[in-house]
Amino acid sequence: MNFAATLGLGLPIGIGLAAIGSGIGIGFLGQGAMSAMGRQPEVLPKLQVAMIIGFGFAEALTIYAFVTMFFLQGRIQ
Amino acid sequence: MALAVGAFLLPAHPLAAASLAAGQILSALNFFFLEKLVKLFTEAAVSKSPAEATLLRARLLLFAPIKIAVIYGGAFALTRWQSLELWPLVAGLSLPLAALFFKAAMLAVSSGPENLLRRAPSTAGSSGNLAKPAAFILLAAFLVLAASPARSEEPHAAPVAGADSSIAAVAHTAEGGAAHGEEGEGHGAEGGAQHLPNWITILNDFFPQNSVIHWMHENEYLVFAWLAAVVFLAITWFGMRKPTMVPGHIQNAIEWMVESMEDVCGGMLGKHLHKYFPYIIAVFFYVLSMNLIGIIPGFKSSTSTLDVTLALALITFLYVQFTGLRNLGLFGYIDHLAGSPRDVVGFIMLPVMIPVHILGELAKPVSLSCRLFGNIFGEDTLIVVFVGATALCLKASLVALAVPPMLGISALFMLLQALTSIVQALIFALLATVYLYMMLPHEEHAHGNEEHAHGSSH
Repeated sequence: MNFAATLGLGLPIGIGLAAIGSGIGIGFLGQGAMSAMGRQPEVLPKLQVAMIIGFGFAEALTIYAFVTMFFLQGRIQ
Repeated sequence: MALAVGAFLLPAHPLAAASLAAGQILSALNFFFLEKLVKLFTEAAVSKSPAEATLLRARLLLFAPIKIAVIYGGAFALTRWQSLELWPLVAGLSLPLAALFFKAAMLAVSSGPENLLRRAPSTAGSSGNLAKPAAFILLAAFLVLAASPARSEEPHAAPVAGADSSIAAVAHTAEGGAAHGEEGEGHGAEGGAQHLPNWITILNDFFPQNSVIHWMHENEYLVFAWLAAVVFLAITWFGMRKPTMVPGHIQNAIEWMVESMEDVCGGMLGKHLHKYFPYIIAVFFYVLSMNLIGIIPGFKSSTSTLDVTLALALITFLYVQFTGLRNLGLFGYIDHLAGSPRDVVGFIMLPVMIPVHILGELAKPVSLSCRLFGNIFGEDTLIVVFVGATALCLKASLVALAVPPMLGISALFMLLQALTSIVQALIFALLATVYLYMMLPHEEHAHGNEEHAHGSSH
């Protein structure tokens, strides 16, 4: 099992695993935001902004895996 | 100090000593001009009599091109001059900055033992609400930082466009370039970063021998960073030149953006907002314009390279640490890094706390830069994939079958690109605000909460 084959197997699996975590995090954020908006519709703009910012943070962890993939992907030859 | 180091180096490496001195002189001149410009600008804005105001503005307009020509021309010429060595030049450029830093630290230390032990209120004056001097300073510092990676690193894996049209080049890079042999073998089959062609690569196709265009092609991201800065500065300048009570269109839009940021950041920083807001809003507008310019076909986001985002994150990191040192005093800063031990348990945990906090502080610029870089670069790559698929369909003559869905998907993903650009610019500025807030003296609640807050903000 040489280096390129290992990378080719491992990198997409790594990104998939990171995306699972992000998906769960964003799901929790969205759930909290939706139920709060349902209870109190007048705070909807503030909650929307905070929700989008939270999405950005939760997404960042998958992006770290993505960046790692791009740095290693050049070595698969 | 410069002369001492220079004299030390002089017998062995005269070139290194000369470049160190040249870098220092240039950087000192830069600071001198910057200070003069900022003073003139603020005086022109707040002066009472219109005659004095116009006189000051005339001096400002005289000084600004002199400063730009001298400093940037000097920096360009110095880094191009082959007989100067690079590292002493960069060290010389950063030495006055380090001298300012140490002077600030010494002032904090020497202001008496009672000032060290209590949290000293900040004594430096504010530079006013004008975002433009802050934008100039940010731009100058960023260019100094970004020019040195441009000298010492290879061009970041952008495929050199072939001699044919750009669509053929995109199709080749999308395929991996192995199938069609008549196009050049020099580009093509590398994995790694693939970018859409922009106007610089098109110019490079038509004039491959021109050295100016070749330099622009090598340092594409720098040219687009300058372009983004010029665009946003021009828009804000022309929009806010004559502010009226009932605002026009541009002034309305700019005021809306600035006031929304003020609301959000003011909720965190409170009464310290006016001291740090110029930097925060300058960073926000700069990153926003750099991100948004990449959506326009024929242009490229500078933030899709790690160099640019790392430079911005490092500047933010240094600014945050400097603010912490200035506000908390040297002893208060170390106390903050140690987790503010108040009882015996705190002191016992001290050797554990300090490395943890230092690592946390070091992780901040890394996470800031990687987040912005990954998001923007990922969006770019997504668009490259779909546009490449469109080009493939065109080349394989499946036009009616596959181009409309492909183009439609590309357009959809460009909408996503716009959203991500705005959100990531906002997140960068908000994180800068949060790090600044963490450095200010805030009330110490139960210390376990603060560790959890530090740990989860990465």
